[in-house]
Amino acid sequence: MSKKVITREEWERKLKDVKISKKDMNKLVMNFLVTEGFVDAAEKFWIESGTEPDIDLATITDRMAVKKALQSGNVEDAIEKVNDLNPTILDTNPQLYFHLQQQRLIELIRSGNVEEALEFAQEELVPRGEENQNFLEELERTVALLAFDDVKNCPYGELLDVSQHLKTASELNAAILTSQSHEKDPKLPTLLKMLIWAQNQLDEKAVYPRINDITAAILEDPAV
Amino acid sequence: MPASAANNRPEDLTARLGVGAGAAQGEALLKALREVKNQIIGNKTKKLLYLHLGAVPKIVSVLAAAGSASDDSGGISRGGDAAVIVQAAAAIGSFACGVEDGVRAVLDAGAVPHLTSILSHHDEKVVDAGARSLKMIFQSELAPKYDVLQEENLNFLLSLLDSDNENVTELAASIIAHSCETNEQQKALCDAGVLLRFVSLLGGSSNQKDGCLESIAAVIKNNTEVSSRFSCTGNGKALNALANLIQDRYPQTRLLACKCLIAVGHASPCYVEELQIKTKLVLVLVELLEEPGRVGNEAPFSLKTLIADDEELHKQALSVNAIEKLCSILQMSSVQARRLQGILLALAELCSKLEKCRCQLMSPQVLNLIVDALKHDCMDVRVAACNCIRNITRSLKNLSAGCLSSEAFIVRLVQLLHDPSTSVQIAALGALCNIVINCATRKSVLIKCGGVSQLVQLSKSMDSVLRSKSVLALRNLMFLADITDKEFILKELTLCTLASLIYDSECSIQEQALALISGLVDGCSQSVKHVFAQDSIILDAVMRQLQNASSIGVCIQGMFVLSNIAAGSESDKDTVMNYLVPPQTDSCIPSFTIKFLQSKDILLRVASLWCFVNLTDPASVGSSRRVARLQDAGIVLQLKSMLNDPCLDCKLRVRMILEQCMELETAQA
Repeated sequence: MSKKVITREEWERKLKDVKISKKDMNKLVMNFLVTEGFVDAAEKFWIESGTEPDIDLATITDRMAVKKALQSGNVEDAIEKVNDLNPTILDTNPQLYFHLQQQRLIELIRSGNVEEALEFAQEELVPRGEENQNFLEELERTVALLAFDDVKNCPYGELLDVSQHLKTASELNAAILTSQSHEKDPKLPTLLKMLIWAQNQLDEKAVYPRINDITAAILEDPAV
Repeated sequence: MPASAANNRPEDLTARLGVGAGAAQGEALLKALREVKNQIIGNKTKKLLYLHLGAVPKIVSVLAAAGSASDDSGGISRGGDAAVIVQAAAAIGSFACGVEDGVRAVLDAGAVPHLTSILSHHDEKVVDAGARSLKMIFQSELAPKYDVLQEENLNFLLSLLDSDNENVTELAASIIAHSCETNEQQKALCDAGVLLRFVSLLGGSSNQKDGCLESIAAVIKNNTEVSSRFSCTGNGKALNALANLIQDRYPQTRLLACKCLIAVGHASPCYVEELQIKTKLVLVLVELLEEPGRVGNEAPFSLKTLIADDEELHKQALSVNAIEKLCSILQMSSVQARRLQGILLALAELCSKLEKCRCQLMSPQVLNLIVDALKHDCMDVRVAACNCIRNITRSLKNLSAGCLSSEAFIVRLVQLLHDPSTSVQIAALGALCNIVINCATRKSVLIKCGGVSQLVQLSKSMDSVLRSKSVLALRNLMFLADITDKEFILKELTLCTLASLIYDSECSIQEQALALISGLVDGCSQSVKHVFAQDSIILDAVMRQLQNASSIGVCIQGMFVLSNIAAGSESDKDTVMNYLVPPQTDSCIPSFTIKFLQSKDILLRVASLWCFVNLTDPASVGSSRRVARLQDAGIVLQLKSMLNDPCLDCKLRVRMILEQCMELETAQA
């Protein structure tokens, strides 16, 4: 089946006809900054572009304090802060709470404090597993870390990665946003996903200049 | 630091809580409260621990003291008090979250009035804390119900609804949803303008929307007047708002909006009549089936409620691939019990009327999953699976094609007859009733795995529903069974039990018992002897019930029994003849025979006529004798008057009988 070929000239002409307002773009940027929690940037952007945030920036400050505590490895502080913000969040999100406790254990292991880690696992994590069977598998993996001398290079070493942190931080951020009736995902990623999906769909029918690197957003001529 | 560190042990902390000597003061108290709060949030084990240490009454006393101290200082709260109140309130709310003992402790300690009083505090953080904690408490069934018929309660709730604070309005919505029980209460709330307020609050944040939607549904539920008034509000503005919300970006909101519209549709159908809106609801709910968490768990229940008994909507659901979606979720590993129950109930509903739906469920994978569900730990799931099977087996086509002959099904269902839960037993009986009709293989499987003895056992139950369904199952089992099986069933049942079932206090059970006997003697001359055994205990019972004529159904079945017996030997025919037309001459008492022939009920006339068809069979030697008796008794006259019976079946039987009579007369002459 032969596909339709669209030249770069044609394509650029069609693109030119599509109108996007600056106001809309600003809104998207603001939405991104606000959802991800970049308070200072949001404030500056507000001043410079005149775009109003759709959320009270004060609440972002609270949320960012929580995130910062978590990222600096001070999980207990993050828990206290989120409980001050809204005590019902952790009470109604058992999986999130488990992940926070899990992170606490990971930090104790990371600091080499094996005795305290064991005590904590016994007192705090094991009951979570007893209360909810779904957590058992993850619990076992985390506790297994204690069996290894070289934790960073053991089979479950990825638990000590930054990525684990970020996962939990993201989960916490989403829970706070939901409790504040704010959408937990920024709109920008959705738009990019749409773009990639639309291109994939079009690939089946036509040959055209594609955006292959979304950060560069350059039209690349189709391979002949 | 783990809680076991030096001065943060639960016992120590608890000791510091409270009011008066021994307890901590000021900053130390605040610290202790905060520490306890942070330990218990999210942590069921710690909550229970502190509960047992008696922390709750102490914290409530702190709240009470701090709350009144705030009042005393003329509304100018010292910062410390506000902080203490916030921590105490938050801790109390957490105790009430997800732990029943915690709710009880909180209620027993008298927390509710204190939390209520801080709702009017001027510090927004205090109000938030109080509102959140109360909302947590009111999510439990154990929470007290507000009698909204009392003016001060209603006014209090109205003041909460007027607040700018979303936590407070959500609390009000929560209390109303929890407390609204009677029609009167619903009307009182509607009269006070609560529904209008909710509709205006629908423009708020999504959490607020959700709270309002739940409350609207509770106030409208099953109340035609309130529902109609709501639907008329602002020329349908309220209904439009709901219709928009079923397409809200949040799945939870969509589900709650659907539930609201379904509630309106039930209470005042004329407002949600158009197929268009109903179709949209079907579509939205079918999409929500795939949502994770609570939304996906509840969606199938709402779908079932929406389409219940509505064949048109069943078709709509089918057209949007509801069955495929439901089956694919069924096939996922480790489905939560509540969701599984919902899926099975929705499938059962879809199979209740449409053959097409039943056929779609006939694949071995799906059937195996349903069989697995029969042994699920959760009773509700077992019931739902039985209902599913019962409805699938309404398909005569599939039954006849020999599907579902596998032993697994039947054995599993028979096991459920021993289930500790009556609801499960009833549901299993329902499924078995359908399965044992019409297929010799299935009947013998049931008999082999000891099903008959359990059915007999249940037929003697004190519970009339169990009796009724088990007798129905036995009746279906008996229907067209082969002679060996018939004998076996009767032997297990015993004539004595059968007779007592004919005399059962419930008419429906009498009917089933009689139908069972019909099936026993049907087409089986050897089996007729049982009717006369033990001094005709069975036949006597049949006759007595015919004479009592307690219900039309009983009479119909009784006459079918007689007509089946009359299809037998000469002496059988004579026996029936003697019962129907007693040999007293000049009897002024009309026998029930003529009464039945004159009945308005078609089936009764038909059943009675069949007796005479068999009694006047020209191939039988004594038939002409019997015809003469019929003439003497005036029955032939009665039959002649029925030549133009409005029912075709009756007309044909009457003609048949009269033709047979004429044939016999001609033969004699």
